[in-house]
Amino acid sequence: MSLYSELRRRNVLKVASLYVLAGLLIVWLTWVARTQLGLPPWAEEFAVVLLLVGFPVAIIFAWVYEITPSGLKKAIEVDQTQSIVFKTGQKLNAALIVTVGLAVVAMVADQLLPDLAVPPPPEPPAEPTVADVADAALGGDVPGEIVSFTLGNGLRVIVWPDNDIPNVAMYNFVRAGGRNEYPGITGLSHFFEHMMFNGTSRLEPGEFDRIMEANGGANNAYTSSDVTVYQDWFPRSALEVIFGLESDRFANLAFDDDVIESERGVVQSERRSRVDNDNTGRLFEQMFASAFIAHPYQFPVIGWPSDIAAWTKDDLETFYRRYYAPNNCTLIVVGDVTAAEIYQLTQNYFGPIPPQDPPAPVRTVEPPQTGERRFVIETEAQTPLLHIAFHAGSAADPDTLPLELLLNVLAEGDSSRLHQRLVERESLAISIGSYQQRGFDPGLIYFYMTLTPETDPASAEAVFFEELAAIVADGVSDAELRKAKNILLADHWRNLATIDGKAEALGEHEVFAGGYESLFERPGSVEALSVDALREAAARVFRRGNATIGVLRSPASEDES
Amino acid sequence: MNSLRLRPSKVPAVLTAVVLGSLLFAGSARAQSVSLPEASREQLDNGVVLLVNEKHEVPLVGIELVLRGGGVRDAEGKAGTASLYAGLLERGAGARDAAAFAEAIESVGGRLSASAERERIRISAEFLARDFPLALELLHDMLSAPTLAETEFDTLRERQSNFILAAKDSDPGALMPTYAAGFLFAGHAYGYPLAGSENSLGSISHADVLDYHANEVGGDRLIVSVSGNIDTEEVLAQLRQAFGDLAPAGRELVELPEPARAVGQRVLLIDKPDATQTYFWIGSLGVAIDYPERPALDIANTLFGGRFTSMLNTALRVESGLTYGARSVLIRPSKTGSLGISSYTRTDASVEAIDMALGVLRKLRSEGIDDDMLRSAQNYLLGDFPTRFETARQLARQFAMLEFYGLDGTTYIDAYADALRAVTTESVARVVASVYPAEDELVFVILGDAAAIREDMSRYGPLQELSITDPVFTTFATVE
Repeated sequence: MSLYSELRRRNVLKVASLYVLAGLLIVWLTWVARTQLGLPPWAEEFAVVLLLVGFPVAIIFAWVYEITPSGLKKAIEVDQTQSIVFKTGQKLNAALIVTVGLAVVAMVADQLLPDLAVPPPPEPPAEPTVADVADAALGGDVPGEIVSFTLGNGLRVIVWPDNDIPNVAMYNFVRAGGRNEYPGITGLSHFFEHMMFNGTSRLEPGEFDRIMEANGGANNAYTSSDVTVYQDWFPRSALEVIFGLESDRFANLAFDDDVIESERGVVQSERRSRVDNDNTGRLFEQMFASAFIAHPYQFPVIGWPSDIAAWTKDDLETFYRRYYAPNNCTLIVVGDVTAAEIYQLTQNYFGPIPPQDPPAPVRTVEPPQTGERRFVIETEAQTPLLHIAFHAGSAADPDTLPLELLLNVLAEGDSSRLHQRLVERESLAISIGSYQQRGFDPGLIYFYMTLTPETDPASAEAVFFEELAAIVADGVSDAELRKAKNILLADHWRNLATIDGKAEALGEHEVFAGGYESLFERPGSVEALSVDALREAAARVFRRGNATIGVLRSPASEDES
Repeated sequence: MNSLRLRPSKVPAVLTAVVLGSLLFAGSARAQSVSLPEASREQLDNGVVLLVNEKHEVPLVGIELVLRGGGVRDAEGKAGTASLYAGLLERGAGARDAAAFAEAIESVGGRLSASAERERIRISAEFLARDFPLALELLHDMLSAPTLAETEFDTLRERQSNFILAAKDSDPGALMPTYAAGFLFAGHAYGYPLAGSENSLGSISHADVLDYHANEVGGDRLIVSVSGNIDTEEVLAQLRQAFGDLAPAGRELVELPEPARAVGQRVLLIDKPDATQTYFWIGSLGVAIDYPERPALDIANTLFGGRFTSMLNTALRVESGLTYGARSVLIRPSKTGSLGISSYTRTDASVEAIDMALGVLRKLRSEGIDDDMLRSAQNYLLGDFPTRFETARQLARQFAMLEFYGLDGTTYIDAYADALRAVTTESVARVVASVYPAEDELVFVILGDAAAIREDMSRYGPLQELSITDPVFTTFATVE
């Protein structure tokens, strides 16, 4: 008699099957209970451990004991001619069938019930077409299908269903950036952005990207002085996989020493490319370090090289706890989804992540600048660079929108004033561009010029300030104002032409401009601005005493006279 | 692949693993096929092809004009002529001088740019749909009545030269494709620096640009593609009016020769003494646009160096931290193009990184890919596919490119998803063996601090050297 046939005879195999099936059912019920009734997050792990411990006990019990008409006896003591193991086996079969049936019912119910168990947010009326959305936006109305809600742990979620293509764009704005750093950990927010792709207690390093790409998704992330933003683009079919991946790294990030060292190398390579071997990047870095003397906007987002080389695992873990909390994040989902399913998914996947104490506010306020500042970088350069920046307001400052229009007049496109004067008429520069920092705290209005090899930066600077003085004195013309508004309006439409553009615009407005609704007020706010509003904003900002002037050029050679 | 420890569905992980098996490929991108929308096609008597598609979601219109010719038509020693010509088209046409032309576009928030590519000149525009008549007027003037003023030519030529200098200061990596094409194609027109070199720009005259306009621009070379919130019949009538009388180009467009099989194991070293990192490009000839096994090749290159988890990026970035990024790029023009591996690393790791890239190439060639890799790449390519057809501007470009290459949208776009799904590991292996080069076919282009790396680089083949300040991109005098 083989061991196998004896295992069968004593119903051990049936008991094992029944145990596994019933166990799975119990784990599932625990999971349902956890997500619906708020059991602690380790509930089903606990159930699994109990069941695993019980399994060998059950098997040994089944092997050793046998049910007889007179009760439980040791199997070896039962007279096999009197054995009723066959009857017991039939009962076990029936129990197996019932358990499988229960499992099937439960699985079906899982698909139907949760939406009932947790009240979903109000479903918007009919799905409007994108054209309706566009018309609504022009009229300043917030498209009715956008739904926002906040989970119990403080995670803010905004959903814009749009089924033009079967894809989804998802942005997670984390309020952590260069402004949250201090000497010794400069660049940590950006390094953290890299670490978020490098493994959790559940997933090996590299698995996040591997699973995402294997399911048709792609991702990226960026860090600024104010926020770190995680972006996913994926087919609708991968929706739940992405929620699993995203919530996992927000709950269970791992900090492996070897991985940290390897990623340090990656960031050093990134710094060499973006800053050290890029004259524009070098000047940009020095500008922020010079224009800000107190506020942490002075730190390069990528970090000073000595800090990149030195930060520790402790620094990372502290940073993770403090900033990667649901109450410090805003999640935007745009694309082929419904608000109800996103509500359910965020509840299931992000809901169990506990909130943290809000991060300490950034206290330091940059003191007013009281005179022009200058600096020079001397390095090998075939084309000198001239950068000029002015202190201005935060994203929420009333001057921010008029200044955005002013930059359109001054430096956007070939017809702009500075381009016409510096590039076309006087051939002092080969290009000019501008940048407006729109963050939580007052930032810079930034102009960057690449000069022709023979241009003396001083002469370009003189022309630049003449043009700005003219704006302050006389303002812009009605035609220029109209042009600046049209550029802004057309950009508004371009943003709304893709699910990616919609997600980014919603997030930027939600995080920096007091609410996503302000995105749709933008065309109206722009139209309301007058020539006077622009001139007044210009007068407040474009003052020499408010300027920092940076020059990058080759070292003056002595035989060049 | 079955060591999934994440909860990818509502069902908990333990249950997932036992009952449903691996959920790594939960989605399998079922609904990711694309059906190209209808476009009306019409060919005018003068040869102009018109393509019009209505897309009404947002009040924008995308316009794509493609002129056959481009950089490959530059005369020997005058690389950059087509590029200067394209640039001049934006600097005055019809009654508008350069400033008025820019003002007309920007005052309505429009965008319009003309640029030379290897085999065409592209004019790409996007306007609010209500401004379509203005856009059409500008485009008509650009082709029929460009000013091509000599003073504008002088200004633009000098500026273009200065842009090369600025890139050498601030973005040397951006010049690597130019150095690489010059070295790989060794005299073939595909190797010309598109925007010219400081040397070649110096030898182009205003007369050369006028000659380009007279002989390389005409109705027989033109494709006009429009997509957006417009009415097809109305727009077709406007386009006939605008482009129906464009005369043919003065010269016939002769077919390009195939590039000569490249001699491998050569090294071009560009010295930038202050560089703290080494940029490298390792490549060979590749395939043309009509390569028959495109889906299998797309999958091979996605896996080798076309995405974040590619073999190259995994080895050079994820696992070793040597670089911020490593990739492989296929350029597929009308004739045989190129396949190039590119990355950068700190100066003292140059050999380590290059050898590692070569090792990854060897691995691809010897081991091929497995089923999981194949499915992953299929899903990845399918997942992203619909996002390339989302806006009017993208659609206008897609229609123009299909027309340019003589490709059928039904097979090239609509059937692509199914063709991708049909690829097997065997077909990928076949494609890898025929397209991905053996080491003796590779050429190396290296930019960095030559004093520090010269000796090490000579192990990859005989060296030719340039300095970053040299006013040329190749060592072949005739091209530039």
